[in-house]
Amino acid sequence: MKRSNWRTILVIFLVLGGVGYLIFSGVSETGMYYRTVSEVLDQSKTLDNGPVRISGEVVDNTIHYNQGDMILTFAIRDPEDNSKTIKAVYKGVAPDAFKADVEVVLEGKYDRAKNTFDTTLLLAKCPSKYVAEDGSL
Amino acid sequence: MVSIGNYSQLLALFFSLTTIALLLTGIMKNDFRFIMSGRRALVTVAFFTSTASIALVYLFFTNNFQVEYVASYSNRALPLFYKATAFWAGQKGSLLFWAWILSLFSAVVVYNTRDEIDSKATPYIYTVLAATLVFFLALITFVTNPFDLLRFIPPDGKGLNPMLQNPGMIFHPPTLFLGYVGFTIPFAYAIAAMASGNLDESWLKKTRVWNILAWVFLTIGILLGGQWAYVELGWGGYWAWDPVENASFIPWLVATAFIHTAIIQERRNIMKVWNMTLILLTFVLSLFGTYLVRSGILQSVHDFGATGLGGYFLVFMGVVLIGGFSLIASSYRKLRSEKVLESYLSRESTFLFNNVILLALAFSTLFGTLFPLISEAVTGNKITVSMPFFNRVNTPLFLALLLVTGLCPLIGWRKASADNLKKNFMLPFLAMIAGTIILLVAGIREFYPLVAFSLCIFVAVTILREFWTGAKARGKLKGEPLIVAFPRLLWRMRRRYGGFIAHLGLVLMVIGITGSNAYKLENQATLTKGQTLNVGAYSLRYDRIGKWREWNREVYAATLSVFKNGTSLGTIRPEKRFYVNAQQPTTEVSLRSTLLEDLYVTMPAIGRNWDITLKVMVNPLLQWVWIGGFTMVAGGLIAIIPGRKRRVGSNDIL
Repeated sequence: MKRSNWRTILVIFLVLGGVGYLIFSGVSETGMYYRTVSEVLDQSKTLDNGPVRISGEVVDNTIHYNQGDMILTFAIRDPEDNSKTIKAVYKGVAPDAFKADVEVVLEGKYDRAKNTFDTTLLLAKCPSKYVAEDGSL
Repeated sequence: MVSIGNYSQLLALFFSLTTIALLLTGIMKNDFRFIMSGRRALVTVAFFTSTASIALVYLFFTNNFQVEYVASYSNRALPLFYKATAFWAGQKGSLLFWAWILSLFSAVVVYNTRDEIDSKATPYIYTVLAATLVFFLALITFVTNPFDLLRFIPPDGKGLNPMLQNPGMIFHPPTLFLGYVGFTIPFAYAIAAMASGNLDESWLKKTRVWNILAWVFLTIGILLGGQWAYVELGWGGYWAWDPVENASFIPWLVATAFIHTAIIQERRNIMKVWNMTLILLTFVLSLFGTYLVRSGILQSVHDFGATGLGGYFLVFMGVVLIGGFSLIASSYRKLRSEKVLESYLSRESTFLFNNVILLALAFSTLFGTLFPLISEAVTGNKITVSMPFFNRVNTPLFLALLLVTGLCPLIGWRKASADNLKKNFMLPFLAMIAGTIILLVAGIREFYPLVAFSLCIFVAVTILREFWTGAKARGKLKGEPLIVAFPRLLWRMRRRYGGFIAHLGLVLMVIGITGSNAYKLENQATLTKGQTLNVGAYSLRYDRIGKWREWNREVYAATLSVFKNGTSLGTIRPEKRFYVNAQQPTTEVSLRSTLLEDLYVTMPAIGRNWDITLKVMVNPLLQWVWIGGFTMVAGGLIAIIPGRKRRVGSNDIL
């Protein structure tokens, strides 16, 4: 009885340890800071220059898609502070929901020298609910 | 109709509260008549939720756009079928739908328990169901009412998001809800067992069909969601570990664990506390799933817009958790098993490991989903984890789960002997080694795919051998040829073999997931007419493009000739659609599926001079994800086909 108890505890401990290790290493190797546009621009806040995830709104009249080499460029602004913008470059095709003023999530690296964001992943929020232009609903 | 809807909801709420009052009085006074009235009141709730639901659908049919919910999810151009199903397109309707299904289920429970009214536990079952109904009905009556009116009458509604105008998407939410709501019943039985002190395993026996049925619905819901994502979102995958997907997957994992240990409790009368805990968690996670999808707390990509519902759900979940765990704590002494696990080399222990792994999967998925919130609370920095994290953490766990699935039928109950092990392990083990060598020769060198495919062979052989020996034994006994003996065996022992079929489905699904993840090919390019794009063995030639108008949309369709290794396979036609009064186009995938691979083509952009941007993918073995998934569903259904009343303690539980 005693021995089997110890054995059970040991097995559970091993399993928990294994799962804990998987989660811990998973977070440290694949985790990404999620920042606002203002935070990315504020150098003191982002010391490292690793991959980062940012969200912002697509600025009107900045979307440009070169179909030949499939390069999409656009600017995003901080919803809290419209003066803060970043230019994003994405090789690939925009998702259907992508358009001016829509909120997007980008993953990639920020190049401080050029103030451009090299985007590896572009997600647009899909509006399950349409909001009327005048916001009446 | 609006007032019929409002009054119906209000009366449903009133009768739910009446049910609780009558039952509690009956329990306290030990008076049978109150309990009988309580039963009737509970059935009445189902009547009023039905009239409310009919009223809402009627408002959709008659284009009553003064109703805010109708204006938000329908318009004149919407086809009738989608008008009916817009009922559950948004939050308010979903909550009414939830209450409606739960009240119908409750009415079924009332009918099923007609011979058990004198049992002490029965009134408690009704009380828990009525209390859950009160929560949902109070929400739609006072907080987020689907019958709320606008102060003006808009000429037309906003319509249904085109992405949701897809038959699969129509059945995805209700099947998920049927699953979520279904788990309320075993939860109610478990709480009733503890509250009344009737702690034998009879509650498990009575809810077995509910458990598996709820699990089947949840499985179908998740599968339909995956299929919808695959054909509608156009990124070529079916599962992204998005918070909304995880919200349905986490309760599924815990429910799956519960189904397995319920078998152990029925058979060996151990793990009683554990089962109570699992069903409690399944129910809370079902609520949590609804809450996560509808609250927008996680800023998921398909966020439903933040609403003030979060607080109410959190409070309700808190009440359920605290109440549930205090009941478990107070019944702990009675629930504790006299028996213990006798050996690690026993079938029971494979069930234990199955549970540990499933819960580890549930925990890592939950942890990853909530990690942005956790990290922000702890460090002040929001850190997100996405697909790579989940794949990294969950893949080894899934493979371990697969291994346990294969080991289970090889090991006897209680304590396996060395002889028995040697005899059982030989064939599957050799088959696996042979399979691994063949895979290596075929050029599969990556670690995970190799392990996954080898384990699939191992598990498949153990299951098929189980079928074979069973059929052979029956054939001998009854003098039937195998072809007759096998289906009859399946029918006679469907509980056992339904489970095996579900496991076989899991194997097929793993084959599909592994193939489509590890060996997918992708290419994208912009083509002018006549140009060709190559992906793997396929080449696609851009022939022409057309444009026309269909009732509520404008369609652009490119026609491409498909060749594989130079042989013509005909044409495919990816589309781009522009819906009337939708603010974005939709990209319609063109798919050419075979059992071997899918050719997946989208046309995300059309240029001014009719140049098109194409995105082409080859997804090997992808169809096996769905075949496997629906095989799991079939296995679950086979296991609960009702039969003649069985002798208690008969040996076909497993």
